[in-house]
Amino acid sequence: MAGKAKIKSALTGYGFILPTFVFLIWFMYYPVYQALNGAFTDWDGFNAPNYIGLDNFTRMFSDEVLRQSVVNALIWIALSIVLAIVPPFFVAELIFHLKKERAQYIYRTLFVVPIVIPGIVTILLWRFLYQGDGALNQLLDIVGLGSLKQLWLGDPNIALYSIILMGFPWISAFNLLIFYSGLQSISSEVIEAAKLEGAIGWKRVRLIDIPLSAPQLRLIVILTLIGSLQNIIPPLIMTNGGPGYSTYVPILHMYNVSTVNGEFGYGMAIALVMFAVILLLTLINMKLIKSES
Amino acid sequence: MRTFRLPGAGQWCLLALLLFNLLPIYFMFENSFKSPIAFASSTLNFPQEFLWSNYSTAWAKISEPILNSALIIAMSVAAIVVFAAMSAYAFSRLRFPLQNTLFLLVFGLLLIPGFLTLIPLYLQIKKLGLSDSYWALILPYIAGGQAFSIFVLKTFFEQMPDELFEAARIDGAGNIRIFSTIVLPLSVPICTTVAIINITGLWNDYLLPSLLLNRSHQTVTMALVSFEAAAGNYGLSDYGGMMAAYLLASIPLLLLFSLLMRNFVEGIASGSIKM
Repeated sequence: MAGKAKIKSALTGYGFILPTFVFLIWFMYYPVYQALNGAFTDWDGFNAPNYIGLDNFTRMFSDEVLRQSVVNALIWIALSIVLAIVPPFFVAELIFHLKKERAQYIYRTLFVVPIVIPGIVTILLWRFLYQGDGALNQLLDIVGLGSLKQLWLGDPNIALYSIILMGFPWISAFNLLIFYSGLQSISSEVIEAAKLEGAIGWKRVRLIDIPLSAPQLRLIVILTLIGSLQNIIPPLIMTNGGPGYSTYVPILHMYNVSTVNGEFGYGMAIALVMFAVILLLTLINMKLIKSES
Repeated sequence: MRTFRLPGAGQWCLLALLLFNLLPIYFMFENSFKSPIAFASSTLNFPQEFLWSNYSTAWAKISEPILNSALIIAMSVAAIVVFAAMSAYAFSRLRFPLQNTLFLLVFGLLLIPGFLTLIPLYLQIKKLGLSDSYWALILPYIAGGQAFSIFVLKTFFEQMPDELFEAARIDGAGNIRIFSTIVLPLSVPICTTVAIINITGLWNDYLLPSLLLNRSHQTVTMALVSFEAAAGNYGLSDYGGMMAAYLLASIPLLLLFSLLMRNFVEGIASGSIKM
């Protein structure tokens, strides 16, 4: 009798998770399996794939476009980490030190407003601002700096930087709120004690606020790192990797190798390596969080 | 609490940064009313006269993609929330063999980045003959939303008081009845939050739709990209209409966020929403 009840309760449990697993097996686990498996084949989408061992992975070492993509990705990571931290932290400090609670709330809300703009609109808008006769060059003419006018997306030497630096003044709403919450959580005893020691103004920011924001800083660094390794939409939409390969990044290379050349096997190998790198970073981060708490 | 008065320079700096931050919105707004000629003379000044017809042109082009996106997202998110809630209920309130292993299998998916499955999904859906239909996106979206949603809902269901479930069981209620008459009604707020996070992500999705859908099924993001390409191709280009389309495409998210902005801001600011 007890056995029967046990079987019945097990069947109820499986019944409740059945729809989820039908979809996961069909559209998550199977594609993941195909990606892992395909990385070791010459899969082209038409013919039956053959196993070619590590050929796809050795090919990466001689792939000039991939090399350029990795260099670009490293530049991208370095700059985006700076942009993800400095401007939002600066604004969080400024808002936090406003005297009126009400003013703090209003500024906080207004800085968050731009998140309603779909990401793709921001990218298209900046592509438009960067055009030869676009607003950026018009603005430079107006303020008398016409000599600084550039082909922002057409010059292979600056196109990558133009894409990375879009979104001036780089105040990510999410990062701003994270930093702000960190500042709010600094206890008033610490601040009072620091005040007695003479740590006010910029001295306080340097000696108290920045060190005590370390957890928020780490969270944002790791999220930015992982996020910028996965970049594809900005270069895809703005330049499709061009001019030449000057704005290529690894995931864009994976995408074009697969969808344009039909070399799905090689594309999956690139994806697999990128996945391994991101997984490693995530696991290191989880370990760090665990050892701290 | 506040230890020093922000110097005047700091306040001006904050105001200036705020204005720069809102500049893209201003730029879209003022240019959305300009005729091609006014647009060509300058993109930066405020329009002399308001050309409202830009909005009707833009609406004519973007209304169908907005409806496509809305339909795809409504069906996907409804299924995501219902299936995820069922699984979260099973993982938090029922006991069955291999429960923890199965949960780890779901949880592990949070580590899988979208780019890894993008190409296999694209090939698989094409092979199934589903491309150029709404199902091409709805089915993978339902799968893609599960892990995160189950995780959030499971945490919530675990915190519901045990007495609630015991009392229902004494009254002879089965799991299906407990789930549909107790659990779901009590978790409407958290389900709404989960739905909104899913909606925002799907509204912005571009890669999978652009690989799988033709023009007659295109989503908002696809339409915006092709609209921009088309606007530049004619001699006298309709950039005013393009800007109007950008603004129209932002309205659904604006509505969602204005309903929940307070929760969102307070949520992150109080540290309850992380990652």
